[in-house]
Amino acid sequence: MKPAPFEYHVPTTVEEALAHLRHYGGEAKVLAGGQSLMPLLNFRLSRPAALVDINRIGALSYIEEENGTLRLGALTRQRAIERSDVVRSRLPLLTEATALVGHLPIRTRGTIGGSLAHADPSAEYPAVLTALEGQVVARGAGGERILRPEEFFRTYLTTTLGPDEILTEVRLPIPPPGSGWAFEEFSRRHGDFALVGIAVLLLVEGTRCAKARLVAAGAGPVPARLRGAEEILERDGLTEQSFEAAAARAAELVEPDSDIHASAAFRRHLTRVFTLRALRKAARRIHGGH
Amino acid sequence: MEALTPKLVGARVKRLEDRRLLTGQGSYVDDFRPPGLLHAAFLRSPHAHARIVRLDPAAARALPGVAAVATGAEIARLTRPVRALSKMKEYRVTSFPPLALGKVRFAGEAVAAVVAASRYVAEDGLDRILVDYEPLPAVSHMEAAMGAGAALLHEETGSNLLLAREFATGDVDSAIAGAAVVVRERFRFRRHTAVCLENRGCLAEYHEGTGLLTLRSATQCPGLVRDILADLLDLPEHRIRVIAADVGGGFGAKSSLYPEEITVAALALWLRRPVKWISDRREDLLATSQAWDEIVEAELALGADGTIVGLRAEVTADVGAYSIYPWTAAIEPVQTISFLPGPYRVPHYRAHARGVTTCKAPMGPYRGVGRPVAAFVMEGLMDRAARLLGLDPTELRLRNFIRPEDFPYKSPSGIVWDRAGFTETMLRARETLGYEAARAEQAQARAEGRWIGVGFASYVELTGIGSAIPVSPGMPVATGTEAATVRVDPSGTVTAIFGIASHGQGLETSLAQVVAEEMGLPLEHVRVVHGDTALSPYGTGTYASRSAVLAGGAGILAGRAVREKAFTIAAHLLEADPADLVVNGGRVAVRGTPDRGVTFREIANAAYSGARRLPRGMEPGLEATRFYDPYFGTASSATHAAIVEVDRETYEVTIRRYVVVEDCGRIINPLIVEGQVHGGVVQGAGAALLEEVVYDGAGQLLTGTLMDYLVPAATLVPTMEVHHVETPSPTALGGFRGMGEGGTIGAPAAIANAVADALSPLGIEVSELPITPERLFRAMPDSGGADRGSRA
Repeated sequence: MKPAPFEYHVPTTVEEALAHLRHYGGEAKVLAGGQSLMPLLNFRLSRPAALVDINRIGALSYIEEENGTLRLGALTRQRAIERSDVVRSRLPLLTEATALVGHLPIRTRGTIGGSLAHADPSAEYPAVLTALEGQVVARGAGGERILRPEEFFRTYLTTTLGPDEILTEVRLPIPPPGSGWAFEEFSRRHGDFALVGIAVLLLVEGTRCAKARLVAAGAGPVPARLRGAEEILERDGLTEQSFEAAAARAAELVEPDSDIHASAAFRRHLTRVFTLRALRKAARRIHGGH
Repeated sequence: MEALTPKLVGARVKRLEDRRLLTGQGSYVDDFRPPGLLHAAFLRSPHAHARIVRLDPAAARALPGVAAVATGAEIARLTRPVRALSKMKEYRVTSFPPLALGKVRFAGEAVAAVVAASRYVAEDGLDRILVDYEPLPAVSHMEAAMGAGAALLHEETGSNLLLAREFATGDVDSAIAGAAVVVRERFRFRRHTAVCLENRGCLAEYHEGTGLLTLRSATQCPGLVRDILADLLDLPEHRIRVIAADVGGGFGAKSSLYPEEITVAALALWLRRPVKWISDRREDLLATSQAWDEIVEAELALGADGTIVGLRAEVTADVGAYSIYPWTAAIEPVQTISFLPGPYRVPHYRAHARGVTTCKAPMGPYRGVGRPVAAFVMEGLMDRAARLLGLDPTELRLRNFIRPEDFPYKSPSGIVWDRAGFTETMLRARETLGYEAARAEQAQARAEGRWIGVGFASYVELTGIGSAIPVSPGMPVATGTEAATVRVDPSGTVTAIFGIASHGQGLETSLAQVVAEEMGLPLEHVRVVHGDTALSPYGTGTYASRSAVLAGGAGILAGRAVREKAFTIAAHLLEADPADLVVNGGRVAVRGTPDRGVTFREIANAAYSGARRLPRGMEPGLEATRFYDPYFGTASSATHAAIVEVDRETYEVTIRRYVVVEDCGRIINPLIVEGQVHGGVVQGAGAALLEEVVYDGAGQLLTGTLMDYLVPAATLVPTMEVHHVETPSPTALGGFRGMGEGGTIGAPAAIANAVADALSPLGIEVSELPITPERLFRAMPDSGGADRGSRA
């Protein structure tokens, strides 16, 4: 488990990093926290000609609130997000999801941009990005592209990020005060990849559910926005009956795979269970409840 | 003469080795970097079963930094293939070449080795070896492997059935036919592997000047490895030194001889350069021995009052691709039928075991060996019988335990159990648990719709096995003795040298306690040396829960011999009668006259001064080597009790409470015993709930990372209450019984029984381990799962 030989570059600016990527014409890989890339290199499943290590690009690490949006530099460590007061107060859904990312040493190295660019559909961040209807910023030679989740995630471990582009920023709209939110997941052990993860955001007007966002992780090739289940909540309101109906609909909408940890049937079952749990939790939190 | 020093045996002494191990001062194989070191990497077969049509190492040899590439044919010229022999009648001997010869039999089998200036370059070299394989049909299922159409793994045997063995006592068929009740089940215990914190690894150096080959290996058995290497490499045994310095866990998986050890040793001889190989986690999961993979069809017959009248079983084990040295492929299945009757009186018994070869990593010993499966089956049958008879499961066990008046009791498989506290451990476990209250809480929880269960498991294991029987059934290699050298240096401090090897059990502490107590010395005056064949008297290693009994016994004998000589010298120096002397804290004095005494330093000084200061005719020096053979061995037993809760929605099992009451005889160090129980229970809980080696139908390993082979994490570990019943062994020196494996024997059975108890209102039985959420989901009557049924 030693990587195949590769060239190694440590740029200190995005422009310098982009120049390296252009030079290798798709044969280079961007190294951020390395929590997914390093195992792939060590297994020799990935054999890039070069690594462009962006860890010294200080300008890529920040958390800023601006006009109702939280902007996070792609290199922001998951642990920094987990501990951030502004994230906790403005986007507690992100705080809750971050605590479920792997284990502490993984979050200490791992970055938000790295997790999104890796695009593992069972990971937490792709589901959160989708639930918040956020955007990612991709910078390349031709300037910046701003991509919505459905434009960014293509399939398992694949995004529309070009080989000479770097994901530089993640933009997450801050939900209005009083919204309900929850991230619930099931894994065999604490810290494992989730068999099923559910992100919920409930935007309310008065007692009405103006908008519901329900996203399943681990239930298909990309994070699955469960629109049919959202519609039940928007139509029928936030009652136990509508939660159960939405959870049942969610279980129908997902397209999970079978593997050694769980069959597709069990993942559907878990989707129902965790959608229900997440909805109840999110509803309790509306208007600052717990 | 007697020792007045405060009792060390039985004391809660903190482990002497822990400061070293916990502060990074340990010396593991990978810590050694001799000058000129080369690094080996192994090319491993991507196929489960294939003929090697062509193997071309030329491009690898041409890579700068590569010192050599060894193929199976080249290593075969330097060594012999390993052949694990057995005296069992129905056993077919097979060869296990260090590097594949002609064909491969499991995915992960070593095919070639590259030796290079660094591990990086060595792995680059692997990329450049060209191998043409002609795939052969994979043999992946043990029952199909015995069928007529199955491909043959070892042409030399003519069958994939490598062994069969039967134990029979009485007339079990009549007993079952006439019984009031019979419970039957097909049990499935899935494949497991030990996951050691330190992966396997070894480093070989050949010193041309002395002609000495030194192999440092992460092994439990330096003595066994040296013996067989001498034979395989055709070297005089005294020119081979095997060292197992600090070893980061073994659990049985490091007790067998591995192809990499032979290959690395052969390469060092060939290249005249030190060669090191450190297994990575992928290799450990692919090619370290695996365990416990058995199908057991069993029937237990009882009278209307719950008295066992007969037990019948058929055990089929998937022994993997090769018969492992020295234990052979028989170790798991034959141990299972040896121990299946457990701590119960079983008058009529017949059990048949078969070992079937398939395209998987070889099966080897893993903590508990056979007994985790045996206890899972027997204790599962006991609970089924209790449910059928409407009896309390603890009551049913109490009615059937071998009673005090039955000892020594010859089990139906021929094992003799000496006096042990079977009944006492159950009574104490019930009391500790607060059994009545636990049942009341369970009833309350059930009324609230929660699934709570209480499960028990009682077992007995044979530990500290002497020369009467081999550790593995039929094995011709002697494992019945150990030795100790106790050496007092002129300053009066003691070095106690053992042939065993500690790999995390705290043996440096417990053996120091035994020797210091025997000699009347403070603990810090004794330093234990182990795991080095050049330093120790002959021994084989640490496995089969033997070191406290065998090495402890040898330590007592050697310590006693030295103490007696020390007393004789002291009596001479003090002009006193040896019978009047007492030793206290390293000082020998005349009883009642503490002023008239000499220290061990003075005694040792006299011993090395020669005749001038010694009694007439006494040989100078102050050391002794003694061998010990406990002959039969010791019965070690326990009752485990678990309270679990099954989540009604996720089918996750949470262990709410865990109680162990064990009887390992006289305890040397309760802290160490409890630590062993804690670790063993966690490993057993992993076996019960998480761990499973999975191969697909093509023989590809699907659990090749620790994201897929799930070992227990801290969040699974329950609070454990461990209590002791100390029934000193009536036969073993010191009264000790071996106990390192027990936790892993009791836990799978107790947890399985607790889960089955929780689900009993649904009529769901647990017949397969591990109990995963997926399996429980499928067992639920309304799951809509792929294959509904009432079996989990």
